[in-house]
Amino acid sequence: MKSGNKTIIILQMFFILIVSIILWFGYPKTDFELNGNAVNVKSINANAIIISENPDFSNPRYLDIENKKNLSFKLNPGIYYWKSANNFIKGFGKKFVINSEVGMKIEKDEETNKSDLMNTGNIKINITKSEEGVLVGSVILEPEEKQEIENVNEEYIGGQDG
Amino acid sequence: MDNKKIELMLLGFLLIVLLLQNVSGLGITPGRTTIDFKDGLEKEVEFSVLNNEHKNMQVLLMVQGELNQSVELFDNLVDFMPSEESKQFKYKIKLSSEISKNPGLHTAEIVAFEIPKQTEEGTYVGATLAVISQIYVYVPCPGKCIDAELNVLDAEQNSTITFIVPIINRGKLGIGDARALIDIYTGLNEKIGTIETDSLPIESGARTELSARWFADVNSGNYIAKVSVFYDGESKSFEKQFSIGKNMLSIESILVNEFNLGEIAKLRILIENKWNKELKDVFANLVVFNHENQVMADIKSATENIPSLSKTELVAYWDTIGVEEGEYDGKLIVKYEKKSADKNLLLKISENNLDITGVGYAIKGNQGKGIDLTMILLIIVIILLVVNLSWFVFFRRIMARKNKQKSL
Repeated sequence: MKSGNKTIIILQMFFILIVSIILWFGYPKTDFELNGNAVNVKSINANAIIISENPDFSNPRYLDIENKKNLSFKLNPGIYYWKSANNFIKGFGKKFVINSEVGMKIEKDEETNKSDLMNTGNIKINITKSEEGVLVGSVILEPEEKQEIENVNEEYIGGQDG
Repeated sequence: MDNKKIELMLLGFLLIVLLLQNVSGLGITPGRTTIDFKDGLEKEVEFSVLNNEHKNMQVLLMVQGELNQSVELFDNLVDFMPSEESKQFKYKIKLSSEISKNPGLHTAEIVAFEIPKQTEEGTYVGATLAVISQIYVYVPCPGKCIDAELNVLDAEQNSTITFIVPIINRGKLGIGDARALIDIYTGLNEKIGTIETDSLPIESGARTELSARWFADVNSGNYIAKVSVFYDGESKSFEKQFSIGKNMLSIESILVNEFNLGEIAKLRILIENKWNKELKDVFANLVVFNHENQVMADIKSATENIPSLSKTELVAYWDTIGVEEGEYDGKLIVKYEKKSADKNLLLKISENNLDITGVGYAIKGNQGKGIDLTMILLIIVIILLVVNLSWFVFFRRIMARKNKQKSL
């Protein structure tokens, strides 16, 4: 191989090395943790997190983490796409899923003998009430919303609404 | 009475309150699994039953609904110990070509039913709970069809409202151009505005969002958005009611005077009622999270009535015994009439100071100015291609010149 060609190859390798180093240090790095429907983001050198419900990142939400290196927030159940960004680079998009949770609890106060049915999940639920196998009513409860019930021998079946 | 005695009394009181309450609970996740129909599709799907109250219970798992013959559960009767917060299970779904004849939604339900406990006399006492994990199977229509809804963001008076129309293409064919027209009506059915969204293509089975913005120089209140989505010569219409100025209350400021770590801090939360009526039973709830994202303080103020178009201070007390210096995330929620306004907070705690600042979380278009990494890599590839091409042309020219010299 001629010395001119060698120089070009060496220059190209040097160019790729420099670009790789710049990308390594300039790439917006974050620690991303998902716990239930709570998202915790710790910035290493990113100053914004971009979150969208669409893989093409249309209508995204921008979360400013420039002044706050550790950010926690809650999202509704669904499929999300996120990427970190700083003033130089927007990172690769990644996907995460927040599962919907249907939950109910009955709280009985023995003192007053009153009972409440509460939505303990993270979505709006439609609850049907049956007595001896016969449907007698229904109620829609938002998360953390509760309603007083008889709490005798009735049955409550809850599922995601909408 | 010293502090330790007070703490012991409080602990005892809490124990009595807990013993007096009888709690039963049940949960399931995911609440819904959505599957796009494929002929002969066979897959296993995981779900979890939650024992949030950490108790002994027996749960019966059942399948019901239209597709119950297509779903096979691996477990039917399961026992939970108090130490088991959740248990994971699986079901197998096998879709037959039969349902492909009926495009649209087909469903089944996994029901987790808590088996009631018998008393010594052999009778059941109290209500029983059952929770459902839904299975939604969408069979695509032969042509072009869509599912659409409307989300209204930042619906405040004298500000720009964002209308988002998420669309899912439920057809077998791709859509070349989808756009939506949104007419806005008052409660008296008087049209006050029309806006048009951007237009986008949607591949078969894909989801996209159309968006439009509208400046709401109208009074606070309820409005109706009538949406018409046009896609490749077809259309779908629906309507949705939304409120402008739904945040009747705004959190103006939080003040803390004479803070000393380890003592009881007095938080003064200034609230403004922007609605033209008195709001009753308003209270503030400050939740502070530790570094593991667990609730370390949950403080509530007393309830107050706030007269229309006025400001009121809500006072809450936070006992900071055991709290360490540092930065903590928090959320301030002001609850009123089954609604709430909230604000994410950052609490910086030092020995003699508590700084509370708001944390931005909004749709903005001017942050994260960086260039897409894909774009950077593309530029590098182009540079390398140009360099190599120049090298190749240069090399060919030299070779040609040498060959010419040799032939001479």
